[in-house]
Amino acid sequence: MIALYRNGTSPLHRMPAGVKMLALMLFALALGVGMNGLWSLAAASAAVVLCYLLAGFGLGELGRQLVAVRWLVLVMVVMQSLFLTATEATVNTGRVVLVVVLAALVTLTTRTGDMLDAVERLLAPLRRFGVNPAKVGLLLSLTITTIPVVAGFATGIRDAQRARGVPPRPTRLAVPLLVASLRHADDLADSLAARGVE
Amino acid sequence: MTYPQVELENVSVRFGEHEALTDVSLSLRARRTAVIGSNGSGKSTFARLLNGLTLPTAGRVRVHGLDPARQARELRRRVGFIFSNPDAQIVMPTPVEDVAFSLRGSGLVRAEVQRRTTDALARYGLSAHAEKPAHSLSGGQKQLLALCAVLIREPLLVVADEPTAFLDAANARRIRDLLLEDMPQPLVLVTHDLAMAARCDEVIRFEEGRVVEQGEPDAVIAGYERALA
Repeated sequence: MIALYRNGTSPLHRMPAGVKMLALMLFALALGVGMNGLWSLAAASAAVVLCYLLAGFGLGELGRQLVAVRWLVLVMVVMQSLFLTATEATVNTGRVVLVVVLAALVTLTTRTGDMLDAVERLLAPLRRFGVNPAKVGLLLSLTITTIPVVAGFATGIRDAQRARGVPPRPTRLAVPLLVASLRHADDLADSLAARGVE
Repeated sequence: MTYPQVELENVSVRFGEHEALTDVSLSLRARRTAVIGSNGSGKSTFARLLNGLTLPTAGRVRVHGLDPARQARELRRRVGFIFSNPDAQIVMPTPVEDVAFSLRGSGLVRAEVQRRTTDALARYGLSAHAEKPAHSLSGGQKQLLALCAVLIREPLLVVADEPTAFLDAANARRIRDLLLEDMPQPLVLVTHDLAMAARCDEVIRFEEGRVVEQGEPDAVIAGYERALA
């Protein structure tokens, strides 16, 4: 499921969503431009561990998040090992993993609504260029909400194909999934209109 | 006691070659009105007219004095709409956020939105699920959430298009009782459930895009059952 927020009263839970998102951006920036060695990677890793402990989730949750990105790690390590030294491959992969698990911590400690409010506030200056922050926020929210629905369609279509003795293949899934998703988009548009969203 | 203020005069709705409604004229005069008829008879098109989701190709629609074509925003503030598929009505990841979403733009301060949302979720027995992923709820809980998200806006009229179609017997009964007994607002209910229609104050029967009967539930339902026999 995409909605990952877990109730809590830790300092990270209480911290405003905008501050957390900004801190995450700065952390990613610092990792990208200012930290190149194994020592700085170790320091950044320690900071991430500390954040998980501060949020009250402990190392078990951090472990679960790391397991979730195992395939990303594998692909990155393999690809980079072909062209870079072992240290460079480790540092580059480590950077990405740290940003991903820290982003996961932000979603674990922030309600989606608060995050969307923060996105809207951050985008407010772009209003003068024709950007509608409320619509961008709604778009993000709908994306998050719709992912499990589309996953449910895929499961239903695969089950229907199996029930008819048709071996499921990605090519057989694509068209019915697209049709179901478009139909859902139509229904969702009606529902938004009925709730007064223009 | 409030009544729906709905007037249709010579309304037709056409989708390409298909005419979904043909020259329909009616006014609603009961607090709870059921709309029955076969699939494709025009029931849902009629319901969608009341919220401006579908606009008439010809004729005149007035809901609480408003013209859906020109005053859709104001109309949707006054008319709540419940669809049959609860999945398509959930727009936020968790129930608490989805209900609070209905109050966006209402001008209420954050604390008041939070208070009303918490109260509404408690009223519909959803407090324990408030922070859970909305799509992990059961079908009945999702439809309760949809109902909660509509009613928190305090509409003057509620239109429900087959609200129990996706539900099991227990959940269907719960939604039925909420709509027909507990809800203070006038109701326009599109349904295939004749027992539910029988509990309304008036029933309208559509066939082939036209109103063929409007009146006391027993008489209209009996006429429908004769037509089915």
